[in-house]
Amino acid sequence: MFKKSKFWAILSVVLVASMLLAACATPAPTAAPQPQPQPAASDISCEGVTAGDQISMLYQWSGQEEERLNAILKPFVDACGVAIVPEASRDQALLDTKVQAGTPPDVVFWGSTQLKQYAEKLVAMDALGVDAANYADYWKAMGTIDGKLLGLPVKADIKSIVWYSPKAFTEAGYTVPTTWEELDTLVEKMVADGKVPWSMGMESGDATGWTGTDFIEDIILVKQGPEYVDAIIAGTTPYNDPGVQEAFEIYGKWAKDEKYTIGGAAGTVSTNFNDAINKVFSTPPEAMMVKQSGFAAGQITTTYPTLVYGEDFDFFQVPGVKGLQGGADWGMAFSDKPAVKALFAYLASNKGGEEWAKVGFDLTPNKAGTTTYEDASLAKKAEMLAATTGFVADIGDAIPGFGVTEFRGVTDWVNGGDLAQILSTIAAAQAEGTK
Amino acid sequence: MKKARKITDGGPRTPLRTHILIIIILVIWLLPTIGLFVTSFRPIQRINTSGWWTVFSPDPEVKQADGSPAATLTLDNYIDSLMGYRGTKTYRAECASGSPGIGLTCTARDLLNPRGMGIAFVNTLLVTIPAVILPILIAAFAAYAFSWLDFKGRYFLFALLVGLQVVPLQMTLVPILKIYAQLGLAGTFWGVWLFHTGFGLPYAIYLLRNFMGGLPRDLFESAYLDGADHWTAFRRLVLPLTMPAIASLAIFQFLWVWNDLLVALVFLGGAKPVLTYQISNMVTSMGAGWHLLTAAAFISMLLPMIVFFALQRYFVRGMMAGAVKG
Amino acid sequence: MAASFLIFKGGKMASPRVATVMKQGKWTPWFYVLPALIIMTVFIVYPMINTVGLSFLNKDSSASAATTCVEGEACWGALENYRYALTNEINTSTPLTAWNTFWTSSYGNTIKWMVFMVAGTVIIGLVFAVLADKVKYEPLAKSIIFMPMAISFVGAGVIWKFMYNYGTSQVQIGVINAVITALGGKAIPFLSQPILNTFMLIIVGVWMWTGFCMTILSSAIKSIPEEVIEASRIDGATEWQVFMQIMVPIIAPTIVVVITTMVINTLKLFDIVYVMTGGNFGTDVIATRMYREMYSSYNTGRGTAIAVILIILIIPFIYMNIKRFIQQEAIR
Repeated sequence: MFKKSKFWAILSVVLVASMLLAACATPAPTAAPQPQPQPAASDISCEGVTAGDQISMLYQWSGQEEERLNAILKPFVDACGVAIVPEASRDQALLDTKVQAGTPPDVVFWGSTQLKQYAEKLVAMDALGVDAANYADYWKAMGTIDGKLLGLPVKADIKSIVWYSPKAFTEAGYTVPTTWEELDTLVEKMVADGKVPWSMGMESGDATGWTGTDFIEDIILVKQGPEYVDAIIAGTTPYNDPGVQEAFEIYGKWAKDEKYTIGGAAGTVSTNFNDAINKVFSTPPEAMMVKQSGFAAGQITTTYPTLVYGEDFDFFQVPGVKGLQGGADWGMAFSDKPAVKALFAYLASNKGGEEWAKVGFDLTPNKAGTTTYEDASLAKKAEMLAATTGFVADIGDAIPGFGVTEFRGVTDWVNGGDLAQILSTIAAAQAEGTK
Repeated sequence: MKKARKITDGGPRTPLRTHILIIIILVIWLLPTIGLFVTSFRPIQRINTSGWWTVFSPDPEVKQADGSPAATLTLDNYIDSLMGYRGTKTYRAECASGSPGIGLTCTARDLLNPRGMGIAFVNTLLVTIPAVILPILIAAFAAYAFSWLDFKGRYFLFALLVGLQVVPLQMTLVPILKIYAQLGLAGTFWGVWLFHTGFGLPYAIYLLRNFMGGLPRDLFESAYLDGADHWTAFRRLVLPLTMPAIASLAIFQFLWVWNDLLVALVFLGGAKPVLTYQISNMVTSMGAGWHLLTAAAFISMLLPMIVFFALQRYFVRGMMAGAVKG
Repeated sequence: MAASFLIFKGGKMASPRVATVMKQGKWTPWFYVLPALIIMTVFIVYPMINTVGLSFLNKDSSASAATTCVEGEACWGALENYRYALTNEINTSTPLTAWNTFWTSSYGNTIKWMVFMVAGTVIIGLVFAVLADKVKYEPLAKSIIFMPMAISFVGAGVIWKFMYNYGTSQVQIGVINAVITALGGKAIPFLSQPILNTFMLIIVGVWMWTGFCMTILSSAIKSIPEEVIEASRIDGATEWQVFMQIMVPIIAPTIVVVITTMVINTLKLFDIVYVMTGGNFGTDVIATRMYREMYSSYNTGRGTAIAVILIILIIPFIYMNIKRFIQQEAIR
């Protein structure tokens, strides 16, 4: 036999060594480096917080997004000496597991459905002593479950906008439409000129179809109005109502036809939503318009770094839309530690709002930030948000467990499914979610 | 046309057609990976606008931020992955302009920054090595018992073993985490090691039992006649002869733990990041930054491939020869 | 050799007893087996029992599943989640629609995966293990087949995007469609076309897992005694006969193990489908459906019911394995 004893000896040494190393290794927080505690800045309150207090956080932002969050939280971290222990994951399984096992993180930034899902376990905002004066009523309404404000909206985006290239429009002699009929006429004109009006892309892994649901909800906003959408969210108007059906059909007319959108139905369902944004601004452009939320600006500048906002790419509000569709990420608290209280106080304060706007991590629902945006496109979106009277949430974001059924339904519809059947499946999920 | 008799160790008489068949299969297998490999050397501006096979005839219209044409080939994806770079440009561009991101200093110390692959690599090793050795050790003992020892309920327990392999991972997370929280094991390395051991045992025992059970009886009988008991037979006879199976098991368990993300996140947490966690965080929630995945996939693949190669020496024919007589 | 035949004292089993070769104490086997049993009980058996329990409750485990019954529709009481899991994807209005919707349901797809992926990986793995055995560059060849397993799904998702991508007009960035359009054809949206897409995904699965089968079968082939093969060659057998009539029968137990393992892996297979199509366009398999019910629809009752169905599906294979186990020991 070969030198077995030597082999086992080496094996045991390796095993023991790695276990010792692991046991003695101190955890290194992956947050911004520990700052020197300074006297608290006058506009940030650090009541009850001792330097070195830890806050464990979970959010979906990673990469460049996490950089921005760190920049926004830096003044708070510097002033109070708090150490943030973050985790970033888009996996719902991770969040659910931690909450159900009784070991949730202190602070979570996630979607609005989680407010309803974890309602019993969250600490309400008044229990944290947060003053929500800086937030519009519709935000407060969205975050209030059973009479308690359970979260703070921190990062908002508006969806009812269409991106286009002003240069391409001027060259072809098009003007920005202001009513739905003008949009229709413009689309037909583009087709007559041999151009493809829309670039649509639904592909998004397990959330494939979400761009379609956004578009359809905007059409509903145009044709029916914000109260109708609110009724769907409340469950009083079933999803297979004729108003919704009409919106599906209008969307389908464009999404399934090669004349109106790149690649027709196959193109719509197979194209990734980011690629769809790129196609409007390529040389030569493959389409003239893409309806997409505000984040599209970031995508455009990453792929085409030489394009200039205002000249090469810009957006207009969906013509004729009554109200505005949008969404937000919400901060929620599972613990009421002093550090957590201070964090939320900071986010809800004027300083918090201004910082958020300055860093430009999408829009901030905090009114204090409305005038401090450095990025021009963000400023324009913020104006639209501030001016609206009928703000509605994305239906999929507002009903727990419903979103995925809606996405799949729209995908089926574009792929040739039967509309009546699809709508009743979605209506069943809506009924369950709003029970 | 019958070829002359040939020996099996690939001497000059292995027919050409065997070589050709092997090469064809290898090319088919390699083709998808080649696409990724080439793409990992292209800058982001080019990846989305042209197929990877056009890599050597770049379109001059595709530009970088400063207006100059984008590079044909670049190491930036690899550098950004290693450093865990999270900005919108590249690590080298930002250092050149003197404004590195938060936590980065543009010196060699950046290799150990909390978002880079340096620390994560060490963490992943610390998670993986015990999580490979422990289950194999425990499984070897159990497999021997199932093969050559008699005890009540062998068949029932073995049936359970096969069935337990199907239990989906997600179903075990919440109950185990609850137990860990009470025992104070949440967020520790022991928690992860034990979990991977528990989850890897059914398959390990199953595989090893098959190999051990296939050893010839005469082996044991002659050992018994020489005065050996089960413990000696196990150590001196069975373990060395089962090395090919143990090597296979080691490779798979290593791979499974190395590439795992969910278990590490749930039981160890983000405070001790593993490689897969760093890689998943290179992409924003909107999918931006995915070009870094091309390079990251290759960096993370290196060590498992080295392990695979290194363990090939156990896949040696003829370990059985002479064992019965010995 | 009869002297080494010892019957375990006090044994009374009805099934064929295994002949113990060496004398063993009463407690010896338990020393060997107990650590494994304890760990597996804590980490797998206990959660499994927990899962079965949850499958009889409603979506947030607050009440029995019977409370989720909808008036005017069929209801199975506490088994309501199972009714949903088994019938929800199938349109039972006519036998034809039931047949069609079955084959695009998660059950139909899983059957397709089991048949084609298991056959593909085992056969190609076996053939390649035998072929590589004959050449000097065997470690390199085996590494290349094994590489897809090492890449993990992070990279593999991107790789196959570059193979299957459906570009919409001038530019194709996916290899297959680039070849098709270069030859004058029209690009095919591989991942969104029903029926075709499941097979394209199975190709990805075979590409990834063949290395696994090859590795185990290779170690089995190495254990075949040299003399047996040489003897058959001297007797004039062709390579094919050596393979089919000598090698395969000898490693048959390992082939059963590999097939069983691949069936189990296929049943649990989740990443490939989830990352590439999210289960859309009729590519759902049981595991993605379970994941979606648990973490997208937040319905614990249904998710766990699907998991239990998964576990039940393995039972025929358990039976097959036990039979082989007994057979193998009887002839030893």
